[in-house]
Amino acid sequence: MLPNRSRTSVLVFLLPPLLLYCAAVLFPILQSLFLSFFSWNGISDMEFVGLANYVRMLTADDIFWRSFFNALIYLAICLVLQLGGALVVASLLTSLRRGRELIKTLYLLPAVISTVAIAFLFVRIYSIDPVGLLNQLLHWVGLGSFERAWLSDVNTVLAAVSAPEGWRFTGLYMLIIYAALIAVPKELEEAAVLDGASKWTLFTKIRFPYIRPVWITTTIMATTYGLRGFDIPYLMTNGGPGQSSELLTTYMYKTAFTSTDFGYASTISVFIVIECLVAVGLILFMLKRKADS
Amino acid sequence: MKKLLRAATVAAVAALALTACGGGGGASDPANVSPTGEIKPREISWLLSRPADGAVINIMKKLADDYAKEHPGFALNLITTPDRPSYIQKLETLAAANKLPELFDTDATPFAQQLAKQGKMMDADKLLKSLGLYDDYRPGALDYQRFDDGSLYMIPFQFELEFIWYNKALLEKAGVSVPKSLDDIPAMCTALRTAGITPIAIDGQDQWPLERYVAYQPFRAAGPDFVQKLKKGEASFTDEAGQKTVKWMAELGNSKCFQEGFSAQGYSDAQNLFTSGEAAMYNIGTWELPSLATDKLNAATRDDIDFFTLPTTNGSVTAANEYVSPSGIGMAVNSKTYDPLVSDFLRFALEKYPAEYAATGALSPTTNVQTTIPANATPLYSKALEAANGLGDKQAMPWDTQLDPTTNGRLQQELVLLVQGNITPEQFTKTMDDAIKQNAPKFFK
Repeated sequence: MLPNRSRTSVLVFLLPPLLLYCAAVLFPILQSLFLSFFSWNGISDMEFVGLANYVRMLTADDIFWRSFFNALIYLAICLVLQLGGALVVASLLTSLRRGRELIKTLYLLPAVISTVAIAFLFVRIYSIDPVGLLNQLLHWVGLGSFERAWLSDVNTVLAAVSAPEGWRFTGLYMLIIYAALIAVPKELEEAAVLDGASKWTLFTKIRFPYIRPVWITTTIMATTYGLRGFDIPYLMTNGGPGQSSELLTTYMYKTAFTSTDFGYASTISVFIVIECLVAVGLILFMLKRKADS
Repeated sequence: MKKLLRAATVAAVAALALTACGGGGGASDPANVSPTGEIKPREISWLLSRPADGAVINIMKKLADDYAKEHPGFALNLITTPDRPSYIQKLETLAAANKLPELFDTDATPFAQQLAKQGKMMDADKLLKSLGLYDDYRPGALDYQRFDDGSLYMIPFQFELEFIWYNKALLEKAGVSVPKSLDDIPAMCTALRTAGITPIAIDGQDQWPLERYVAYQPFRAAGPDFVQKLKKGEASFTDEAGQKTVKWMAELGNSKCFQEGFSAQGYSDAQNLFTSGEAAMYNIGTWELPSLATDKLNAATRDDIDFFTLPTTNGSVTAANEYVSPSGIGMAVNSKTYDPLVSDFLRFALEKYPAEYAATGALSPTTNVQTTIPANATPLYSKALEAANGLGDKQAMPWDTQLDPTTNGRLQQELVLLVQGNITPEQFTKTMDDAIKQNAPKFFK
């Protein structure tokens, strides 16, 4: 227990960031909640419509549901690339003797490049006319029949816009997981090896349980980032063709700033907030249950 | 802590309610175009969506400098956002916050009409008449800026004609000639494809270029009224003219008229495809004359390039000399900040602007000046300018300035799907008619 005076000073130091957080995060969320009960286009009078926006969103809006499921697929692809990729690369790195720093830097590089540059880069990579890198590679390895306009094909566009986002942050999560992996006590691993544990057993019984707390944090970070994904799909395809790569976030943005339907856009944003909270809750619940068992 | 949270929530809601109430008001009389009083020089701003280094901005900068010499303390602050969708978002957000500057650009959109109805923009009809400039303007240039009810709230700074540019050598190679009717185009595309040529280069990323095509058939079959009725739900895509355009768009897609993967290709991609001699046709306006009709154009294709105007159809109600002839995004004058200074500066600038603009080789929105043809121009340059003299009375309006923003967004998305063959004409018709039914009433009350 801290002495009284020091407790006050801690509170004094904690207060400014808390106020800042309230002003920058909680206030806009409350404002969205408030606006979501209105019909308002920015210049007209605000009209109270009760739950009409929510009813429309949940029952009458086909684009909303389309973009919701698109967002889930987008999230799944990002998570597999980011967490799966990061775990594989980090595990391989620990067994590497030389050149670790170089590889770490190379993997981290995309995370520091600007999003706009990445979007333009991938538009070129996916292009068919003029032939981009991906189609050229397919052609060289004899898979010419798979060549296509990746961003114009309604069946491939969602995966095509998810991949750059996943690729981009793999290095960042790799770094976090790598830091956790090298902290696993060597004695434990050596003892297990002496007992005849295979590499796989070593990983599943010793290493992974040891890094679980870091893994939970990383999963939550990646999931919330994935659910809020916006810039790369917006820049690459603007949600198109049709609504094939429309995410909840891009749809909300367009509803607010193109359709000037601020009330309905707030309703969608309230849904996104709830969706993020539910996702984090689910992750914590599942991982806790697993840890308990 | 709980108490504190509750208090904070109440305060937040109260603050919101207060700001919501403070949204309106402050506008002066939009018809009072000649305010009396002393001219007090200050800095004024123009929020605009034009190329940063383009003729309009350069000329207005120069004119503002000249004006400032006589009126020390005056300055014109030009804030440009050339990317149109970003610009519109900026404009709408500023309008929502009631923070529009003295001058701002807008098309004659439903949103702008609401601003006009609320008295936030000066009546441009009265303004131009009071400055004695009204009769100098081309009627078509002013008509493009008008709302459906004929009222005028924006001042044009350009005048453009949209043509279909084509490559003679490629058409010859495929054994096809310039289409006599819009209905000839799908078959023409098939012939060009057979000869291994991309028929039409299009910028799919910006979406408006494809939306031009959907406007053509109804303009020929039913005239300019069709879209005005369609947007309010008084006409529909199931009507004859509507079905004609839906089927024609699907046919263009079936005949592979546009380059593969067009929806992800941008403005310069499309232009390069045409100027490099890979694509046979390209639909663009006279604002591209400096790159299509001067020696800047690729020497290999320069002599092969020509243009034709929008073909008519069998039973067309509009004439061959009537097509898309926009006067660009217009400039609106904020009524709240309109005072003797703004009025005097506009008189000064608008009088001098046409001569300066015509000297850059562009078509002025007025008829009192002669466009200077640049020294490096090809013969096509003057041919294009001459077309402006032979225009008919009606003009095809781009649909993106007509429809309400939500329907417009949906149309742009569905058009890509229709042309790519991802949806059937029936699905397209139903989706779009439903979208209009749902969204139009909010904007056209």
